Amino acid sequence: MSLLAVENLGKEFGGLRALDDLSVSVDRGELVGVMGPNGAGKSTFFNCVSGVVTPDEGRVLLDDADVTGDSPEALARAGMVRTFQHTRELETMTVRDNVRLAAPGQPGERTLPALLRTGSMRDREREVRERADELVEAFELDHLADEYSGSLSGGQRKLLELARVLMLDPDLLLLDEPFAGVNPTLTREIAERIRALNDDGMTVVVIEHELETLTELVDRLVVLQQGSLLVEGDPETVLSDERVIEAYLGE
Amino acid sequence: MSVADRLPLGDAAGNGALLLGAVCVLLAAVFALTPLVVSLPGSLYVFFEVAILFAVYGVLVLGLDLQYGHTGLVNFGHVAFFAVGAYAVAMLSARDSFAGVSLGLPWPVALAGGVVVAALLGAAVGATSVRLRDDFLAVATLATAEIVHSLFVSFEGVFGGNVGIGSVPQPVSDLAGDADTAMLATLLLFGGVTLFTLAAVTRLTEAPYGRVLRAIRADELVTRSVGKSVLTYKMQSFVYGAALAGLAGGLFALYTGAVAPGYFTIQVTVTVWIGMLLGGAANHRGVLAGLAVIMGLRLLSRFALGVMPLSADAFASVRLVVVGLILVAVIRYRPAGLWGDAEELGVDT
Repeated sequence: MSLLAVENLGKEFGGLRALDDLSVSVDRGELVGVMGPNGAGKSTFFNCVSGVVTPDEGRVLLDDADVTGDSPEALARAGMVRTFQHTRELETMTVRDNVRLAAPGQPGERTLPALLRTGSMRDREREVRERADELVEAFELDHLADEYSGSLSGGQRKLLELARVLMLDPDLLLLDEPFAGVNPTLTREIAERIRALNDDGMTVVVIEHELETLTELVDRLVVLQQGSLLVEGDPETVLSDERVIEAYLGE
Repeated sequence: MSVADRLPLGDAAGNGALLLGAVCVLLAAVFALTPLVVSLPGSLYVFFEVAILFAVYGVLVLGLDLQYGHTGLVNFGHVAFFAVGAYAVAMLSARDSFAGVSLGLPWPVALAGGVVVAALLGAAVGATSVRLRDDFLAVATLATAEIVHSLFVSFEGVFGGNVGIGSVPQPVSDLAGDADTAMLATLLLFGGVTLFTLAAVTRLTEAPYGRVLRAIRADELVTRSVGKSVLTYKMQSFVYGAALAGLAGGLFALYTGAVAPGYFTIQVTVTVWIGMLLGGAANHRGVLAGLAVIMGLRLLSRFALGVMPLSADAFASVRLVVVGLILVAVIRYRPAGLWGDAEELGVDT
């Protein structure tokens, strides 16, 4: 059964067709890679799926429910969470608070429980802190936990972003270029973490330029070109496909 | 505040203010409700007047700090909500005002009405403008303030034009034995209200609620992508700030016994903004201290006029120049304000 189904998605930006009749589906428990040359529509695909932009045509189904045009916050609560190509940190907040923020179901995020400082808010906050500290430690950011995230390096930001989205315990995780600008050691480490998450049952979709890491990591590759699906299949088949070689190496 | 936890859940942030506020209100009640009278030296009157105004503006600046300091909403029209609260209370409670509407309702009802009307105006402005990017929201709120000001001047039959609304009840003066006692009781009562407000906004911003607000200030899209309804929070923050401004306006009307457009100029917005930036946005106690500094300087300059070989007109200009220079100096050397946290506000020092 497919967890995410995208049907005939289309999006145009001022005459430029970024997505053209794109249909892709991702099964529960799969680890799927999305690749394609620059401008192939990878990020637009993510943006349309995650509610950041509304598609002009087509439908997005999450767990068989039509979520086309739903807001990012509604989709995050429904279990689909994404990261961003250029890491977006809450730079004026500490690493710890960055992670804690993402916790779902905190009654203290409403006015009255916050004013009255209710027991349920404090109990939840205790759990939130414990979980956030676990994640911060798991991503080896504990020595930076009280630093403002604006002072982190590029690689550390990628790790923090992962820790933050995992706080939501998503069913479907969309990662937009998680290896961009990251050194080879850290790339391997992040790849292992993604695999471990997938082994634990999380469905993951990864956009990436870095072909080698991606092909080693994923179960299935989807290649986009000019906003449409070029090829999909298991990594070896896809990489030996004539059309893919042509798209990447040019005519 | 930078290190460790912003959310001291075990011990209760804001409880000090709550306690002190209760003490102030109790003392105010003692002076207002018992035959006890005090007499204040005449030379101190001006300090009491400024201190009472500080307490009123304190509620204003705390609301603004919730909007701008924590949520990042640039509200350049704060005086509008202050004015609307004051006018609503005045019109609801005044008896036989010389000009404009006077309904003669009991003052507690009027005060509640003032808060509600200001909150409604906040909701209306918020619903149409809170989606706008920072600088556009600044323009929209500034325009709101101008529109509100013009309406109060133009609709003489309703708002009393330039004369405003008079004959507003002054509950504290009515209860207290004499003018001096009333002044002290008013200061204690308003000080108590400001401290209660400080306790409330502190609780709100130290809770996970405040974490969401600061996340919105930092990056809206990230905050949305982790499942927070950013628009709802921005609306709430804006409306709460407006309601607090309405409360401040209502207190002001019930203290002065009259409202007129002259009390509600852009000068009010400028004063609370300078106080907030001087003290350090996002630090509630800091913004109150900053407001105290700017209002204290104004007060000092009144005395300076006596010893300066300048005409009153020339001196008024000098005063503006001095305030401007102080602001320039703060922005240059302490861009996060005197008690603000540069890293948290994302400014370079």
